[in-house]
Amino acid sequence: MNDYMIQLTKNPIIQKLIHKMGLPKPPVELHRNNNPWEERPFNDQPVVIGQICKSAITKILAETVVKGGGNPFIENDNTILNIFNEVGHGHGRLPQVLVQNELPENLSPKILIFDATNLQKPEDLNRVYTFFKNYLRALALCGRVMIVSRPPDTQNDISIAATSRALEGFMRAMAREIGFKGATANIVYAAPDAENRLEPVLRFFLSERSAYISGQPLHINNRVISDEPIPKKRPLDGKTALITGAARGIGAAIARTMAREGAHVIIMDRPGEDIPAGKLAAEIDGHLLFCDITEPSAGDQMYEKIEKLGNGLDIIVHNAGITRDKLLINMKHEIWDQVLHVNFRAILRVNKKLLPIMRSNGRIVCLSSVSGIAGNRGQTNYAASKAGVIGFISALAPEVSEKGIAVNAVAPGFIETQMTAQIPFATRLVARRLNNLNQGGTPDDVAETITFLSSPGAFGVTGQVLRICGGALIGA
Amino acid sequence: MKSSNQRRAVIIGGVRTPFLRAFGDFTPLSTIDLGAAAVKGLLTQFPIAWKEIDSMIWSGVVLPSATVNVGREILFDLGLPMEIDAYTITRVCTSSLSAITLAAAAIERGEADVMIAGGSDSTSNAEVKMPQSLVHKFAPVVLSPKSTVKDYFRLLTQLNPKKDLIPQRPAIRERLTGELMGESAEKMASRNQISRKSQDIYAMQSHQRAAKAIESGRFASEITPVTLPNGRKVYTDNIVRGNTSLKKLAKLKPAFAKNGSLTAGNSSTLTDGAAAVLLMEIEKAKALGFTPLSQFRSWSYDAVDPTDQLLIGPAISMPKAVHRAGMVRKDIDLIDIHEAFAAQVLSVLKVLGSDQFAKDRLGYDKAFDTIDPKDINIHGGSVALGHPFAATGARMVITMSNELKLSGKSTALLGICGAGALSAAAVLEAV
Repeated sequence: MNDYMIQLTKNPIIQKLIHKMGLPKPPVELHRNNNPWEERPFNDQPVVIGQICKSAITKILAETVVKGGGNPFIENDNTILNIFNEVGHGHGRLPQVLVQNELPENLSPKILIFDATNLQKPEDLNRVYTFFKNYLRALALCGRVMIVSRPPDTQNDISIAATSRALEGFMRAMAREIGFKGATANIVYAAPDAENRLEPVLRFFLSERSAYISGQPLHINNRVISDEPIPKKRPLDGKTALITGAARGIGAAIARTMAREGAHVIIMDRPGEDIPAGKLAAEIDGHLLFCDITEPSAGDQMYEKIEKLGNGLDIIVHNAGITRDKLLINMKHEIWDQVLHVNFRAILRVNKKLLPIMRSNGRIVCLSSVSGIAGNRGQTNYAASKAGVIGFISALAPEVSEKGIAVNAVAPGFIETQMTAQIPFATRLVARRLNNLNQGGTPDDVAETITFLSSPGAFGVTGQVLRICGGALIGA
Repeated sequence: MKSSNQRRAVIIGGVRTPFLRAFGDFTPLSTIDLGAAAVKGLLTQFPIAWKEIDSMIWSGVVLPSATVNVGREILFDLGLPMEIDAYTITRVCTSSLSAITLAAAAIERGEADVMIAGGSDSTSNAEVKMPQSLVHKFAPVVLSPKSTVKDYFRLLTQLNPKKDLIPQRPAIRERLTGELMGESAEKMASRNQISRKSQDIYAMQSHQRAAKAIESGRFASEITPVTLPNGRKVYTDNIVRGNTSLKKLAKLKPAFAKNGSLTAGNSSTLTDGAAAVLLMEIEKAKALGFTPLSQFRSWSYDAVDPTDQLLIGPAISMPKAVHRAGMVRKDIDLIDIHEAFAAQVLSVLKVLGSDQFAKDRLGYDKAFDTIDPKDINIHGGSVALGHPFAATGARMVITMSNELKLSGKSTALLGICGAGALSAAAVLEAV
């Protein structure tokens, strides 16, 4: 499951050789953080923040950066400077002003943030252009670029709406340009009344936990009501999470990550997976539940197990999924039905059964796929099921938001797992390169994202599909 | 004894040894010797019948590995009654304050009526340790009764001169971060934008005030002379430089970073010394004919993240202690902060003036206060006097208790930072 190119380029001699021979630059090994959540995810990293002028989120940005341990660099504007000074004062992280928009020598910012929330007219895009043109070259290896804007659909003014939509195209193109150094770019659209939900989202996106998310938009809204504190560490402490198909691969990674963050994990899988599931349960002190998800009684069995444990249910991760690829013209009804049953119909059925015992501030995350967005040759069944999941979460989200439950999906691209290891060699070779970062993701990349979406801080995110694909070239 | 809820612990007084730069005159004295000198001085100045002493809590940071319970050894060396209980705590630079507040708590809990508390450290006698790998190789052979000469010879052939025989320097680095404390303080200086000049000005203030206190005899009753093994007596501190100037301080090279701002002049130095305090239950004090100086209104021990700002803790502990005392800033007359580094003190003062800090770190609405560095440490601090780790807290309690008495003021706030990002604060009030 290793990407031999990354392994190869760790060797300095080979590095030199590749350089000498004028071969294209091999992919950078991404900086990842799979340690427990920390107080300060950007500890001591330089963060450059650009703004058109002081906005409603200036203070939130200052607090996010400073509390996250970043050292803020800002452009010369007195009102903004005052806010950053005030906030930085209490944390010993006073802002440094960039004189004539020039970075100090040898400074490579790890994070670039542009606040475009008060974008007014198409001409304002020039500010965005100038900001990134100035600083993008200096961006550190595996750096993060983030644009914060208002959602185009909440704008009454046509010119503002159009302009904020332009940012997305800009960001996606920029993400492709910086991918060679392992850096990512994303955009967050914060609804005007959801600004206070921005900080936890930025803490995730600007950290090394979001290493494989690039070129993606994310909307933050205020639909889900939350009445719990937002911890910076151990976000899932005391929560109970049910993960289907948790014995191996991505499911096991999710179980490990959630357990690491304090969750009681119910590892659910087929009875045939008892050995890996048992090992995992011992490792993370989890609970085991074996049942066939396609059986009509599966939901009841889960319900019973949760009742017996007596802690209620806070998180459901609908992870169980299978592939049975065949061209449509050759696809037997049996495998068509099997894939749709496991990947789609079972989710609907199980979810309906479990919803009543979900506690408030609950989180539901479904595994979709880039294939469900873009479609893949030979995967009519799989793509249908994974696209269906997207429909499912969009329809469910508004229904349960008043209960304080957020529902989202993640759509992984090429992830190095046993499932993708079975793809024929040549196809796999090409497939993992077809993205901005020139490499595949890891199960941990998916697990970290789902853990974030399951955390109290993710209450601003609901009804969304977040792609974990390194900015895949397909399905944009 | 009365029921515990009515009991009040009071401070009768305290004394300390002179504080001397490490590897000076005190080098031949161990931490036990220094502690014994302080306790002896205490009992001379406050002559109490030995049988009245119930218990002693001692403290140390650089503890001798063979006799960790330094307090008990001090009792033996002084010939005090064997029946006096003694234990020794270690809580980095807050150690002796901790010993004193533990004693106060024990008295108020009804465990004892008369207690001695204090601390001592001899950094000159920090132990240089042989590598553990040597111990692991030797121990099985030496401890086994079956070992023969042959085994010992075989042992010699297994030794790695480089790995096993070069002794380890005593660790003064944070185990978690690997940083020297000065390096952490250097980071704090740059993060809080504390200039070299403001540090030097503060250091000069500390030296000048301490020198004035010594000259005027203000410390005379607090310091007990120590007799050296050669019979010579040491009467006074030797680190204070009353004649220092900004010019002299500005000439010093940065000590911890190439372009840093911390120098030997604006940092505290390795010091040998000890200090001891006598505490009693108030009724007992009256019965024995002692006049109390002060008592604790509150205290607070806290910890922060060592990887953030290692020595910022007093900015948490001090407002908390004041809050716990049911007081506000304006109720506090005197402030005494342990000066590990001028930069650290100034960083603490800076964040104490920040609303954001109060909100985020303490959950209070408003900043504690914007405090002028001139308004604290009226008799100087650790930068000038030196810092025997486990004697500093007791020194501060002694100086501030006396100050309350002498000045007629009513409250004093103490703040101490320490390794591992621990911190402590206490509110003393006159009795």
